[in-house]
Amino acid sequence: MTRIAYLFVSAWQGFWRNPVMSVASTLTVALMLLLFAFFIVTDRGLEAAVTILESKVEIVVYLEDNAKPTEVLLLKSRLETDPAIARVDYVTKDEALQRLKDIAARRSDLGSIEDVGTNPLPASLELKLANARETPRIVASLREELGRGVVHDLIDNPTVVDKLLTITRVLSAGGIAVLAMMLFVTLFVIVNTIRIAVHARRDEIEIMKLVGAADWFVRWPFILEGMLVGTFGAAVALAAIVAGAGPVTNALIGFLDILPVSLGENFIWQLVAGIFGFALLVGAGGASISVRAHLSH
Amino acid sequence: MIALQGVSKRYPNGTFALRDVDVSIPTGEFVFLVGASGAGKSTVIRLLIREELATSGRVRVDSEDVARMRRSQVPRLRRKVGVVFQDFKLLPTRTVEENVAFALLVTGRGGRAAREETERALSLVGLIPRRGHFPNELSGGEQQRTAIARALVNRPRILIADEPTGNLDPVTSWEIIKLLTRVNELGTTMIMATHNAEIVNALRRRVIHLDHGAVVRDELEGLYAA
Repeated sequence: MTRIAYLFVSAWQGFWRNPVMSVASTLTVALMLLLFAFFIVTDRGLEAAVTILESKVEIVVYLEDNAKPTEVLLLKSRLETDPAIARVDYVTKDEALQRLKDIAARRSDLGSIEDVGTNPLPASLELKLANARETPRIVASLREELGRGVVHDLIDNPTVVDKLLTITRVLSAGGIAVLAMMLFVTLFVIVNTIRIAVHARRDEIEIMKLVGAADWFVRWPFILEGMLVGTFGAAVALAAIVAGAGPVTNALIGFLDILPVSLGENFIWQLVAGIFGFALLVGAGGASISVRAHLSH
Repeated sequence: MIALQGVSKRYPNGTFALRDVDVSIPTGEFVFLVGASGAGKSTVIRLLIREELATSGRVRVDSEDVARMRRSQVPRLRRKVGVVFQDFKLLPTRTVEENVAFALLVTGRGGRAAREETERALSLVGLIPRRGHFPNELSGGEQQRTAIARALVNRPRILIADEPTGNLDPVTSWEIIKLLTRVNELGTTMIMATHNAEIVNALRRRVIHLDHGAVVRDELEGLYAA
């Protein structure tokens, strides 16, 4: 047996020497990873939904009929320099009327508006936003212009985005809090599992130190055992995700139907890599803490 | 070469395990450490393998200051100093051969060279016929010989034996002593802590007598009692 083989065999034996404890920590890891995956998927989904909605968000700035063209241009160029605004379109009174006529032509219920005398519609600036989160700021700054002779009125309709953003923020904060607690519990369980493993092998450890085994060599079987717990936990979590993915997707399909949400082509592989990476990190981390605490002397 | 210069060891509760000990042991010597239980024999051994650090004074092994050694250097020291205990410290789930090879495995030597070294150590202690047995299938003497083979398989410069015959009957004890004498004759410095007056008196080697942590007698060709 080579030295590396010894490390892995010791880790494997360590895992099965106390199966109840090992299975308990594996399941704890799996539970934590399921929560982790749930939050990642939800967060990604909401993020995608917000992005889609953001591209539709518009603010319409109605202009006073007697606004001076230079002042309108000044406002337009000021808005165009704002990084949160993607586009500013100037719609003249005539264009506005033409749009209304086009709509009326397609809808018989509105009747004819050909006989409108003077054009009652205002000219406007239509803003497309690059970042919907900035809506309140932009609206606030535009409200200050009201009654100064340029801006007559404002229309913004960001309520859906606002709600989604609130949900995302609450979920992120709540998710991080729950994950942190779960991480703490998981580390606690792993630390104890490894503590028991160290105790079970204390004679072997004593001899290893006595004959001059390097510190890392004494430690690595336990670190590997922690990583084994992580790997098994990740496998259990992934199995649960695969089993549950179908029903959950069906349940969500109504929601997804409204918005053409896509989590991205590689999302599933990123999720798998993320779960395994996180599991290995937590397993190795918990084992390191335990080994440091229980193997220093 | 082992040197203790003005070495004291005081435990946090204030008791002195060693008090101002000056001892120098040249390479290849055979030394008995004698004295009542608690006189400081085991403390000397623990200082030599850096299981503990002296409160004051200097401990040098192979002209290296043990206290100044970095933590990562300790394994190298332990490979230079083999240790054998009264309670053998064998792994019950491994055979004689595996117990001996274990010392090589965990210090990074495997393969053919390791098998040859294991063979050499087993043949030195006369355990080739028992190589496949587990410790619980062996007599006390055979278990101690396994432990000695494990201590020797790394070819240490120094072999320390802490009461190696403490659990053995007189005849078996003599077998072990003969083996240790032979190891010493092959060039390994030998330090043996013991309560066995008969052996000390028969061998007439250097005797270092500790009492309450102090060296009270250090004689070449000494006896167990003055």
